[in-house]
This record gives sequence, structure tokens and C-alpha cells, in this order.
Amino acid sequence: MSGEEEENAAELKIGDEFLKAKCLMNCEVALILEHKYEQLQKTSDDPMNQVSQVFEKSLQYVKRFSRYKNPDAVRQVREILSRYQLAEFELCVLGNLCPETVEEAIAMVPSIKYFYSIIKCGHPHTRGRAHDDEAIEKMLNDLSLIKKFE
Amino acid sequence: MFLKVKLPWNVVIPAENLDPKGLILQRSIVLHLLDDFACRKATKDLGYFLAVMTLESIGEGKVRQNTGEVLFPVVFSGITFKIFRGEILEGTVHKILKHGVFLRCGPIENIYLSCTKMPDYRYMQAESPVFLSDKHPKIEKDVVVRFIVIGTKWLEAEREFQALVSLEGDFLGPVSE
Repeated sequence: MSGEEEENAAELKIGDEFLKAKCLMNCEVALILEHKYEQLQKTSDDPMNQVSQVFEKSLQYVKRFSRYKNPDAVRQVREILSRYQLAEFELCVLGNLCPETVEEAIAMVPSIKYFYSIIKCGHPHTRGRAHDDEAIEKMLNDLSLIKKFE
Repeated sequence: MFLKVKLPWNVVIPAENLDPKGLILQRSIVLHLLDDFACRKATKDLGYFLAVMTLESIGEGKVRQNTGEVLFPVVFSGITFKIFRGEILEGTVHKILKHGVFLRCGPIENIYLSCTKMPDYRYMQAESPVFLSDKHPKIEKDVVVRFIVIGTKWLEAEREFQALVSLEGDFLGPVSE
């Protein structure tokens, strides 16, 4: 169906331009769109009439599907995930879906497995899978802490 | 996935909107850009256009001989939404048919989950139709479902995307909020 036969986000094959593009988590988009909408409310009586359908539908979507609402928490989520040298795409999938277990995280972002095995090869001491899972587990714990204190 | 993209764009300003004072010119460039952006709706490459964030640069204007309009090449950053094959997303069920359900995700309404891609689920005709399973929560209108994208299609005439999705995989299916 897709024009690019190769495209497969599960393996992080999404085309170079998108791999380098900055992705945004739902919660970040919610902050941006809500801010834009508030600005419109100040200048117009009927702000919903001023925005496109795409804007309206997306705003509704990100409001419902944001795991973090507080702007500080949103910033912290990106900060924490950035420590794990993830691709932008992987970072945002994790921030959007908030997996609770290592198995779920790998199911949601299969490419993190490949990523950790690349690191593994680079090390003089071969790190086993258990170690990789540990790193993922720490990341998930850090994320759930933000949620708890939000 | 929502993307922050940098886009080159051509903005055409009618002669009467030109002003020797740069400020008003800049304003009409931004206004035209916002209009164009909303009208364009989506492109095959970048997906749906949501919002303009910042105007990065305005190039030198070129006068169009016939009309007197001036064309300004500009670069701005904006937010788009594009759906990728293999991506895992969450969406809301908005229509249930005998052979599958339609979901809404971001600006896209035509996300089809066929009953052949819903293992263990069977259709049940009731006052409001529903898909039932012995092992998993039921799928009815307004339920949030986590799915994987197995195919996407760009419809040039409608400037819309369609997607085929599946529940075949671990940790996919209805999500309790």
C-alpha cells in the first residue's frame, strides 16, 4: 500500500529526513496547540471558527492522549528520555505510550533492542541482554516517577 | 507521529498589501502563510499540517510581471502529523461495521481495523454493534485501542491519508484509561 516499500517504523526505517526530523510527543503538541488556541481566544469571539479542521481534531486528540499535563513534567520526560541516546521517533513513542514493563517497551519500540545491541558490540566486555533490560527498566522507572509526582 | 518540520514556502502578496514600512509587509506575509497552510491541509511527504510555529526567514521578493503580485520565498517551522507503517499508536473507535471498525487518530479519521486483524474477536449485532472476545475487553464506540499500522495510502484528490491497522502483536488492543 505504502509507496515506500521499505518503510517500517518498527525497525526505524522511516526515511532519513524523518529520522533526523524532530518528533514531538502528544503532550508537547498539546502544550503548543493549547497555547495557540488561547492566543486566538484573546483576539476572536469564535476561536474554533478560526482554526482548521486538522488543528481542531489534533487538539482534541492530544488533549485526550497526553500522559503528562503539567509543562514541567513534559519537559522532564524529554530530558530523561534524552539521556538514553534514543532516536527522536523512539523517544516520542515511549513518551506517548508510557509502557510499564520492559517487555511492553520492546513491543512498542522493537528498534530499541537493536540499539542496545549496537552499544553492546562497541563495548570491550560483552554486555548480555539482562544488562540491556536493566537500562530499559531504569528508564521506565524514571518515567513513572515523573507521573507520580506530577 | 507529530513532527516539527522546517518548510520552504512561496507566499504571494497582492500589490495593494505591500507597504514601504516592513512591519505591515511582514504581517501580511504571515497572514498569507497561515491561510495557505490551512488550505493545503496535507501533503504526501509531510502529512497533515497543524500549525505554523515560527517564520524563520523571508527571502527577496520577486515581482510577477502580469499581476504585480510579489512572491516571497519564506522558510518557517511548523507541526505536522504523519502516520508510518510499523508505528504503534492509540486511537478512538468511531464506527463499527460487520467487517471491522473505523478509528480516529490525530487528524486522521479513516483508520480501518479489519475483523481479520482482530484475533479472537467476533462481531455482535446489538442495539449498538460491538466486537466481543473471551480474553480481551470489548471493542465498541468510543473505546481507545492501541494498534500497529500495517499500511498507509495517500489520496491525492481528497488530500487525506488512509491507514490499515492490526491488533496482531503483543500489548495491542483496547486500552483502559
